[in-house]
Amino acid sequence: MRIDRKARTIAALAATTALVATACSGGQGGSGGGDGGKPDVLTVAAWMDFPQELLDRFEEEHGIKVEINSFPDGASAQTVLRNGLASNGAGLSDVHLIELDWWTEMMAVPEDWATLPAVEDRWVDWKVTQGSVDGEIKGYGTDIGPLALAYDSTLMEEAGLPSDPEGFAELVGGQDATWETFLEAGRQFTARSDAAWIDSNATAMQAAINQLPAAFEDPQSGDTLPLADNAAVHELFDTFAQAAQEGVSAGVGIGHADWGAGFQARRWATVITPAWATGIIAENAAGLEGWRIADVFPNGGGNWGGSFFSVPATGPNVEWATTLADFLTTPEAAVEMFLLNGQFPSQTTAMEDPAVSETPHEFFGGQQVGEIYGGLAAAAGDAAAGGFRGVNFAGIQTLVMDGLRRVESGNQDASTAWDSTVAEFDALGLTD
Amino acid sequence: MASPTAAPRRIGFTRRLSRWDVKVSPYLYISPFFISFAIFGVFPIAFNVVVALHDWHRRLGQGDFVGLDNFRWVLRQPAFWTSLENTFSIFLLSIVPQLVLSLLIAAILDQNLRTKTFWRMSVLVPFVVMPVATAMIFSQIFGQFGLVTPLIHELGWFSDVDSPFFQNRFLSHVAIATMINFRWIGYNALIFLAAMQAVPRELYEAATIDGGGRLRQFFSVTIPSIRPTMIFVILTMTIGGLQVFDEARMFDGAGTGGTGQGGSSNQWLTTVLYLFNLGFGDWQDRMGQASAVAWLFALVIVAFTLLNFVLTRSISSSRSKAKKVPASVTRRLVAEARAAGEASARAAREAGVPTLLGVTSTTGDDATQTVKEGSKR
Repeated sequence: MRIDRKARTIAALAATTALVATACSGGQGGSGGGDGGKPDVLTVAAWMDFPQELLDRFEEEHGIKVEINSFPDGASAQTVLRNGLASNGAGLSDVHLIELDWWTEMMAVPEDWATLPAVEDRWVDWKVTQGSVDGEIKGYGTDIGPLALAYDSTLMEEAGLPSDPEGFAELVGGQDATWETFLEAGRQFTARSDAAWIDSNATAMQAAINQLPAAFEDPQSGDTLPLADNAAVHELFDTFAQAAQEGVSAGVGIGHADWGAGFQARRWATVITPAWATGIIAENAAGLEGWRIADVFPNGGGNWGGSFFSVPATGPNVEWATTLADFLTTPEAAVEMFLLNGQFPSQTTAMEDPAVSETPHEFFGGQQVGEIYGGLAAAAGDAAAGGFRGVNFAGIQTLVMDGLRRVESGNQDASTAWDSTVAEFDALGLTD
Repeated sequence: MASPTAAPRRIGFTRRLSRWDVKVSPYLYISPFFISFAIFGVFPIAFNVVVALHDWHRRLGQGDFVGLDNFRWVLRQPAFWTSLENTFSIFLLSIVPQLVLSLLIAAILDQNLRTKTFWRMSVLVPFVVMPVATAMIFSQIFGQFGLVTPLIHELGWFSDVDSPFFQNRFLSHVAIATMINFRWIGYNALIFLAAMQAVPRELYEAATIDGGGRLRQFFSVTIPSIRPTMIFVILTMTIGGLQVFDEARMFDGAGTGGTGQGGSSNQWLTTVLYLFNLGFGDWQDRMGQASAVAWLFALVIVAFTLLNFVLTRSISSSRSKAKKVPASVTRRLVAEARAAGEASARAAREAGVPTLLGVTSTTGDDATQTVKEGSKR
């Protein structure tokens, strides 16, 4: 009798718990449905503006409305994507924009992403290679980031240095420009001006690291190289740290809270400018006259960033999402994106489109920015694909950049900063 | 024959039902809390142990069992120790001004002010503002081209660095502590105010009669009376203050493009921010280490909270001890009161006023009795 009552009590409790548990999980049913059938709406997660006509055209052609889940910047889109992938695709959009800088991270499990059908002759070859994992295409390229230098011709003129784009290009070394000649020009400039030469040497060094074939990891094995023995990175670090100690850099890089204010206060004369940064600079330096793009870049140019549209494999509308990713990366779409945001196309026919090469840029004094970047992209060639990026690339890069920032801020001298960076790296135990 | 057997059974069932009602229902009524606590409280804590003992990747999930390796790894990181220092520095810079100012504001609000509600609501306004928004506004104020920096450069301080509030470690702590203070002072002031309102007004009246000034009343009546509230506030402040995250993460403009990782030399890297960087930052395989940080830091918080609890208790109880009247004083007061009573009684008797005689002597007796009781206590 007693046991019986206890058992019933337990049963009653268990039943209630089950009831509560089912009530809690009741909400999950809705999201999975609708596969195969045509959805009413497709969502795109991105952090740039889209031309409305482009989205309207997709709706006309396919009868599906396109909604943009807009993020203020790449980093917040990255966070949402990280969390979504870690929780079986919860909260993800149908199509995601992925930036090259965190491409490796998102492709840790390639099965997370739908394999996209090949589109012949749309992109430059290296862009397709970057967007593929083990030979399968996982992302359709949007833009690339050919590197150029933007500079303030007013500050150059005040310092008595060449202020026209050709003269400026010659000053930093012309065709044979290296980081040394670039920084040497900076020393000349800072000797004659109160302003710094460049917004941030850390940004410049990041561009330089992008030019290395194997910056931190071995391309064959994927193993991390010991930082203490990494001569190439050490040399770059010393070069930039030395220059930073001499006041060449303002130490306020893109993304820093003071970056926009620094433009307005005319605190620096040059900025490392991948094509996609032209719009960002125009926004931050709004109202200032005299910024120009120079057709020059140290070490023969390169590429920084650029993005891909990818389709999460867990989504309910993979097929339609693939169609949309295809649609958004056609050369026509790329041209419209360029005209709206200044993102330089990765599509070969779009690069040659007169709308890209001949449109004058209002902020940069009517320069035909598209033509300059086209020339720089062609000059960089396949080297623009950049070096090997393994799983630890982003983390080590942050560590090294922080070391350089300590020099820029005057907290440490070059050799102390390098030593402490190496000590931090060793503490991580990546090479044990 | 059938009905008598059926009838007791039915009664038995109802009785059993009501017995269940008595025994089971209370548990059911309180179960929602325990169930949600189990899901959102106990499970994550327990799961954290599992993660901390494994090589855990954000996307790939569980890896190999590594025992205490993650803990050893964390203790080896210079950044972890830096983050602990930063956390305590920011904590001290925020808890002290917070306590002083919120007590002060509460004491002012406790006075008979005109438009009381308006003032009380006003102090809560900063609390309504999202901490992230606060951080973004303050980082502009403390930025290189913000309100404060040009000012202190003008005064010739920190002129060797462009952006002292970002580049100087201590000043970055001051800036972050300012945001925390801005947010929490009003909130704590209202909690203190609620406690102050519950202090019996007679105590103040008595203190006034005894000649205690406002200041004396504040320290000898108000503070000891709101002691339990102060312990509560200090403990929540300790726990919350050690878990600084939003302000530190947003300080250099994360989300608007800044790295949000605590500065290039980890100037304002707090422990929770370090945990976040490990688990959700640029590193892919640091979930296990992040969990280890969480555990280590939880231990630190528990230890520190206990220490604070003991300190707070002993400080406020030692004050109430000091207030105790020494026995010699009591004896003297009793003797004086008696003498005064007798004197007035004698005077009254001599004056020939019989009615007053009784009154004076009783009041005199009452006084002695109260004093005696007081000394006994």
